[in-house]
Amino acid sequence: MLKQPRKNAIPSIPALITFFLLSSCNPFSPTGDLKTFRVNLGTEPPSLDWSLATDHASFNVIANLMVGLTEFDKNLKPAAVIAKSWDILEGGRRIIFHLRDDVLWSDGKKVQAQDFEYSWKRLLNPKTASEYAYILFDILNAEEYNQGKIDSPELVGVKASDDRTLEVHLKHPVSYFLSITTFEVTYPQRQDVIEKYGSKWTEPGNIVTNGPFLLSSWKHENEIQLTANPDFFLGKPAIDKVEMFMINEKTTALAMYEQGRIDFIDNQSIPIFEKPRMAKLPGFKAVPQLRGYYYGFVTDRRPFDDVRVRKAFSMAIDRSVFPKILHGGERPATSWIPPSMQAQNPKIGLNYNPPEARRLLREAGYPDGKGFPQVTLAYNTLEDHKTVAEAVQGMWKRNLGVLVRLENQEWKVYLKKLKTDPPHIYRSGWGADYPDPDNFMKLFTSLSGNNDTRWKNPRYDQLLESAAREFDEKRRIRLYNEAQRILCEIDVPIMPLFTTTEHTVLNPRFTGLEFNSMARLFLREVRPASR
Amino acid sequence: MARFLLTRLLHGLAVIWVVITLTFVFMRLAPGGPFDRERRLPPEVLANIAAKYHLDEPWLKQYGRYLLGIARGDLGPSYKYVDRGVSDIVTETFPVSALLGVLALGFAVAFSFPLAISAAYYRNSWTDRSCLFLATLGVSLPHFILGALLIWLFSLQLGWLQPGRWEDLTSTVLPTITLGAAPAAYLSYLLRSSLVESLEEDYVRTARAKGLKEATVLFKHALNNSLIPTLTVLGPLSAALITGSFVVEYIFAIPGMGRFFITAVTDRDYPMIMGVTLVYTGLLVSANFFVDLLYSIVDPRIKSH
Amino acid sequence: MNAAKTVWNGVREEPTALWSLIFIMAVCLGGFLAPLLSPYGPGGLDEQRILQAPGSSHWMGTDALGRDLLTRVLYGARVSMTVGIGTALIALLIGTVYGLISGYAGGNLDHLLMRIVDVCYGLPDLLIFILLSLLFGRNIAGVLVALGLVTWVRFARITRGQVLQAKEFVYVEGARAIGASHARIILRHILPNILAPVLVTLTFSVPGAILAESTLSFIGLGINDPYSDWGTSWGTLAQDGWRAMRTYPHIILFPALAIFLTILASNFLGNGLRDILDPRGGSQEK
Repeated sequence: MLKQPRKNAIPSIPALITFFLLSSCNPFSPTGDLKTFRVNLGTEPPSLDWSLATDHASFNVIANLMVGLTEFDKNLKPAAVIAKSWDILEGGRRIIFHLRDDVLWSDGKKVQAQDFEYSWKRLLNPKTASEYAYILFDILNAEEYNQGKIDSPELVGVKASDDRTLEVHLKHPVSYFLSITTFEVTYPQRQDVIEKYGSKWTEPGNIVTNGPFLLSSWKHENEIQLTANPDFFLGKPAIDKVEMFMINEKTTALAMYEQGRIDFIDNQSIPIFEKPRMAKLPGFKAVPQLRGYYYGFVTDRRPFDDVRVRKAFSMAIDRSVFPKILHGGERPATSWIPPSMQAQNPKIGLNYNPPEARRLLREAGYPDGKGFPQVTLAYNTLEDHKTVAEAVQGMWKRNLGVLVRLENQEWKVYLKKLKTDPPHIYRSGWGADYPDPDNFMKLFTSLSGNNDTRWKNPRYDQLLESAAREFDEKRRIRLYNEAQRILCEIDVPIMPLFTTTEHTVLNPRFTGLEFNSMARLFLREVRPASR
Repeated sequence: MARFLLTRLLHGLAVIWVVITLTFVFMRLAPGGPFDRERRLPPEVLANIAAKYHLDEPWLKQYGRYLLGIARGDLGPSYKYVDRGVSDIVTETFPVSALLGVLALGFAVAFSFPLAISAAYYRNSWTDRSCLFLATLGVSLPHFILGALLIWLFSLQLGWLQPGRWEDLTSTVLPTITLGAAPAAYLSYLLRSSLVESLEEDYVRTARAKGLKEATVLFKHALNNSLIPTLTVLGPLSAALITGSFVVEYIFAIPGMGRFFITAVTDRDYPMIMGVTLVYTGLLVSANFFVDLLYSIVDPRIKSH
Repeated sequence: MNAAKTVWNGVREEPTALWSLIFIMAVCLGGFLAPLLSPYGPGGLDEQRILQAPGSSHWMGTDALGRDLLTRVLYGARVSMTVGIGTALIALLIGTVYGLISGYAGGNLDHLLMRIVDVCYGLPDLLIFILLSLLFGRNIAGVLVALGLVTWVRFARITRGQVLQAKEFVYVEGARAIGASHARIILRHILPNILAPVLVTLTFSVPGAILAESTLSFIGLGINDPYSDWGTSWGTLAQDGWRAMRTYPHIILFPALAIFLTILASNFLGNGLRDILDPRGGSQEK
């Protein structure tokens, strides 16, 4: 039971440490071969079932296993994949997709229109309890089916009229519907496979896919392995194997990259203070994201029921500070629709103007912040949020003479609190589900579940409704411009702060990786860099 | 003897039951639910999810459902990892944590015994002081600082060991040391003080007077008698180590169970919280049970207590 | 009075314990006098001074928002020492009273109370602690209550054990024989006897609590409010620095040193106290 005790154990330990310290040789330098590509996924994907997945880790695996009707081209416009063409009929109420007939499932069967019909109805089926079911609520009867108001899936407006044709009936014209078909949750599924294996159908060996890679192993909490699909209809990828690791801690993941054990890292694997250093590495690329970061005012709580106070607070923030303290190439924003999205307009919004901010505050009855009630700014616990909150707190103190109390809460407590006992000001953000302004602007409509400002403006709602049905680009932009002015200049229920950027570093031995502005990772073009 | 063991066993089961009940209540009292998301779900979607997981039932019914599940050996579905059951997750991750725990425990024992023995033997000498210092150092470092130090030195500066993942023998070195340092220090303290005590007992003096070899006196007489207090703490200590340490598993990206003590709570993954609690308490109770068993063999008087 | 004298004399003879005590007092004083000692405030934003290395105007350098790190460490001492000492005191209060009742009453009540202690031992500390801190909130009071509730059982067990021993002593028997009241027996005969081991446990609980708070901070659930009188805990400061380890090591170095040295000092003090009060080196429970 006892180890033989050694008397000289004590002096040997300092000796050992000294030995370690003095030695500077590096006995191994791990480098993978050029046929295997290794990335850090960050976390275990909660689900590879694309009807149930909700997070980046899961979608980043699925995006390399599957293809759908359409995908984004370089300009974020939907481009044909399985759908070779489509007809938009009845002023946008009906869409008919014509499918290619050379796309194969990994078990050799052809991908058919019925696979889409099954998948979409499964997403909407209340028994599936899918969180993203609402993404298809524009389809006729879809919402009613999901709510259990109608029982028969037959009444839902999606139907395979034959193997190669998918017909979709919408409730009303929807200008952004094609964008939705790029989203992983709308990818086709195999009824026979899902019914055969139940909830285990996503395990390797059971899962049937149609994309560039195949799921060959899934060691939970540890590693996912993909192998190239030789029968992929656009050709077999150049690399044979992909290894996806689940390393939560950024410092650890970065150390792995620097040891040559990972070939690609993004913000998930780069601590904020290391970002400036990363920007100097070969293979570095900054990818601006369709993700906005904002502070919202709870507009029915004093003193923020006064629009002058809201304006003053927004004007007292020097947004150029954020890239300096967050080091990640954040782009300051005074308006809400992010850059490179339709209708983005940097001219809209309240600029940094401390004298004007002080004047507004004085007008509202708080000269130099005197008599200003105790107010709270809440954010959820995360290093970046803390840094932003402390910086903003400092600027308000300096420019307005108001000391705002900071309160940070664990994520779920925070979400609960926003609904039940909201602070005066809260932090939030939004990343695009699909790259259309509708997805961003809809957040602040009167009925939106994400609108924690409690601000309502019928004109704003009406503008958004018209824009969603508008197919003409110029008219659409005009509608969104007016809506953005209401949101960021006139009523100011929110103050946009910045949009985020992903820092990515690709091992220079490889090329061809695509990382898009919605943080989606595509590996199918990855190949060894030619020397 | 049999009766004593039976009462201990029943007692242990009762403890487990009370602990899971308490956890159930605490968990439900914590604000926020498993499906509160940044993207707020429409009420109808939430209702479908609640129905799927029986979250729309009253607490008492959910509690009853859970107990029935345990009786059948089913720990329920995970709300986060929707395709997997809690039992699956525990069976996959527990062995990793257990291995790490055993390695750390082994490290602690291998490290503390020589340290404590030489310290106690050369009491109040330079050796003793430096041993005490080393041990105090060990309990004074938070895991994350020790881990950071080790990664910085051995992975980044020297490039000898990999900073993360659980693949082969070399990848186990840094996490084992990080997790084992505190128990090593703790065991050294404990063993040293009980050895110091035994070395002053009469029978040790007698043994020495009889002219027995120093080594025999030290290892056979004194050490044997000092093992009992060490034995007592080994039970809870191994339970704590084997269920893993969140921080260590997190820093070194080890696919173990420890991380769920935190992530299950932050995700409000109720069945997962219950699952890890059950495993932890079960392990602790059985560890204590075995300590009792060993005790009653070593020292028959105890069973009357 | 007498015990205090013993301790003082003992501490004076043990240089490590003495220096440890001085160090801990200095830390407490530094936290208390932070606003007087430092020309900088604990909060704010200074774009011009972001992430400066230690130098003459900022002895420990500045952090991501250009705040003076030394000032933050001083303010952090308030939180960390309050958490350490406060938790230990809360645990002491609950634990000793509980242990006294249990040990003194004996019989079925003792049995029941000890079963409750068993249950508390069976709870996974970290998990319960997180659940409690969610319930009580992330302010200093919440963390104190949560930590206190997790630590008190140790005191209960030790006190009970000591009471059981003390009860056997002749003078308690004697006091009982001459009809002394329970309160008197507890106050005059039992309490003085359990003082030494409880004091030792108390000293060891302080570093335990600081360590627990810093671990909690690492997870992101520590105490943080740079503008209030309570600063940001050392754990939270060190956690900030963790992710800057490679490029700006000073941000983790100084808070980590503060944690480490304070825990080290408390442990040395505890060791010293144990040697003085309990020279036989009585066994410590977990």
